[in-house]
Amino acid sequence: MQFPLTFWDISLLLAFISIILLVTAELTSPYHGLTNLLINRKRLRRVALIMGVFFMVTAAIRIVGIIYPL
Amino acid sequence: MNKVFAYSLFVFGMFLIFYTLLMSESYEIQTLTIMAFIGLGLTFWGGLLLYITPSKHVPVELLNASTTSTLATIEKILTESNLTRKGIYLPPKYLKDFESSLAFIPFRDYQSLPMGTYEPKLYSGNPNGIFLIPPGTALLKLFEKKLGTTFTRTDLNFLRNNLQKLLVEDLEIAEKTDIKIDGNIVIIEITNHVFNEVCQETKKLPRIHESIGCILSSGIACALAKVTGTPVIIENEEQSHNGKTMRIHYRMLEG
Repeated sequence: MQFPLTFWDISLLLAFISIILLVTAELTSPYHGLTNLLINRKRLRRVALIMGVFFMVTAAIRIVGIIYPL
Repeated sequence: MNKVFAYSLFVFGMFLIFYTLLMSESYEIQTLTIMAFIGLGLTFWGGLLLYITPSKHVPVELLNASTTSTLATIEKILTESNLTRKGIYLPPKYLKDFESSLAFIPFRDYQSLPMGTYEPKLYSGNPNGIFLIPPGTALLKLFEKKLGTTFTRTDLNFLRNNLQKLLVEDLEIAEKTDIKIDGNIVIIEITNHVFNEVCQETKKLPRIHESIGCILSSGIACALAKVTGTPVIIENEEQSHNGKTMRIHYRMLEG
């Protein structure tokens, strides 16, 4: 029993998710006049930022792996 | 319905992930990879939809329906007491309970209020007038709760810096706010706010409109009285031509 996705696959997924969420969070901001959208924008923004940070961590691990190869 | 959809996504995603794990020997790696991606994606979006769904939302018409009768009662009190002067929002130094809010509507004009702590009874002989709990008191409490502080501990700069964040970002009750301070005059512009209909209704009640303003301007007046520590009156409350922007002029009296 082995999970088929590698660390880099997860990193790619995180990149896609974080971009989609960050753009959505920005476009649904009340500053763009969307004050009647039935979602909790604060939570959306929080998740978007967390996903962005996760992706940055995976990217940092990759960079470290390139600079200091095992 | 939304929650059922979100739960379905989540459960189906989890099922796909476990199925991928269990069948890792039976399928080609490409098929498994695609299934795992879909499973992870569905699980994530299902969880996200569950997390970002707001707990409760009510239509704005309900706001109007629930406030109109209270405002009509205040209008009746003002009419029967024959009060035509501007209401004075009292700062904490005049109140027994510092965290409460009170509006004083005098029988005669006051340039400065007599010092002292006033009894919050309806009719008062000294100063001569009536004391009312302003319609924006509950809104003020909500402002303080959202900001995580009480206005008595802040100043006018705090209100200036946080009004936009409070009304637009935190409470999402307006699209834009602007605050201008010129000596003892404070002008606040609020664009596209949810109290528009309530404020239009308040205009039909001339005494309350003239004396203590609509619920939103009343809430901000209570906040101004607390942050400045001086009595505040609502000089004027006007709508823009397109009816979207409300401009409120506040004046701080000598305290």
